[in-house]
Amino acid sequence: MKWWKTWIVRLFFLVLGAIKPLQRDLVQLSFIHFARWVIVKRNAFPHPAQEQPVEELKYDYLLFFSNFNGTWNQYIDAFSAVLSRGLNFIWRWSEKFPGSVPVTPFKQYIARCQFDTDYYYTAYPYATTNDVKAAHRVQAALEALEKQSVGMSPEEFASAYLRFLVTVQCDLGETGRAPVGT
Amino acid sequence: MANQSGNVYGLTILSPILQDTKAETSHNCAIRIKLAGLPRGESSPFAKVSSTHMARLVVMDDVVYVGMPSCEEHLKSQYLVFETNFDGDLETYLARMAREIPAEVDAVWQHCWGYPGVSEVSAFVAYMKKCQVPTTFYFADVNNKTVEQTLRALQAQAAVAEFIERNQGRTTTELQKSFADFVQKLHNTPPPVPGRPGKGGPPRIATKMRWATRSYSNGEVPTPNE
Repeated sequence: MKWWKTWIVRLFFLVLGAIKPLQRDLVQLSFIHFARWVIVKRNAFPHPAQEQPVEELKYDYLLFFSNFNGTWNQYIDAFSAVLSRGLNFIWRWSEKFPGSVPVTPFKQYIARCQFDTDYYYTAYPYATTNDVKAAHRVQAALEALEKQSVGMSPEEFASAYLRFLVTVQCDLGETGRAPVGT
Repeated sequence: MANQSGNVYGLTILSPILQDTKAETSHNCAIRIKLAGLPRGESSPFAKVSSTHMARLVVMDDVVYVGMPSCEEHLKSQYLVFETNFDGDLETYLARMAREIPAEVDAVWQHCWGYPGVSEVSAFVAYMKKCQVPTTFYFADVNNKTVEQTLRALQAQAAVAEFIERNQGRTTTELQKSFADFVQKLHNTPPPVPGRPGKGGPPRIATKMRWATRSYSNGEVPTPNE
């Protein structure tokens, strides 16, 4: 990105952070655990040692990190289909960004700009974002039932248990490797 | 602050990699070789720093040139990019890295400019903070739960599914007693190990469900990843 354009991107992110409803599509996609955008100014690459050569760059750089479920193609397809306006607004300031639709040049651009990960770790490798959210809902319902059940008669408990089942029935799915369809 | 979302901190570090034209193996190659050999899953060093949700390490060889009419330019150093998402504050996390996985940190970061080692924790923390690049925008879908809370929730989810299946058709008295025993047992179960595949979710119920639609003559339940 040309250095003066990064201020536009910063302003966009400032607005995106302040107005939560603008993040609705990102939240509803629900397959990203964590994502971040990092602008590295052309003169702000870390320089912890005097002997290290000083960078002389003309452009600022926008780094994007995403921890998502599924395959690369599924991810980019969904991004392009659901978030194209937002993506375009973030990346249109970057050199030669082709737009997020149509998806083929968009994928070519990403493949060209991507760095392969050398080492990756996740604390819950087979749980998707939806699995994590569902598990927390089950946990909350279980804790509520445990508290309620103190001092209940068996009949009262059976009734509360039934309500618990209705509450959690959609959140008991299987975790594991996702089916891959490309 | 853009580095944080709720209780989760998003750290980005760019550590410049040493250049030595006389070295038999270049420093960037040495880092890649080391990273390729680091254990994964529950044996990963990041599983020891148990507040880590997700982490990655990348060697950035150069900036990307996307073609004319943009200008072609190059970095003078390669960078080790460290991206991590963890619970709590930055200094505690970095200090845990220095104390709990010193050998791995040393093996990787010794190839970087200005790396002071981990023997003096405060110097290591200061170095990492010097290499930190602030996050411009950070998104965490679940930002109010720790790693342990999430692992426990996944464990509870699996156990609940199994409990429901096992306790169908019980009398109300049996059901209540069974539930009390179940909850007690769940409280006494140690939390799942971070990074262990399958143990965070409900693999047992998944296999039982599959089992119900297939016949296993010896009654053996297949493991979830079979």
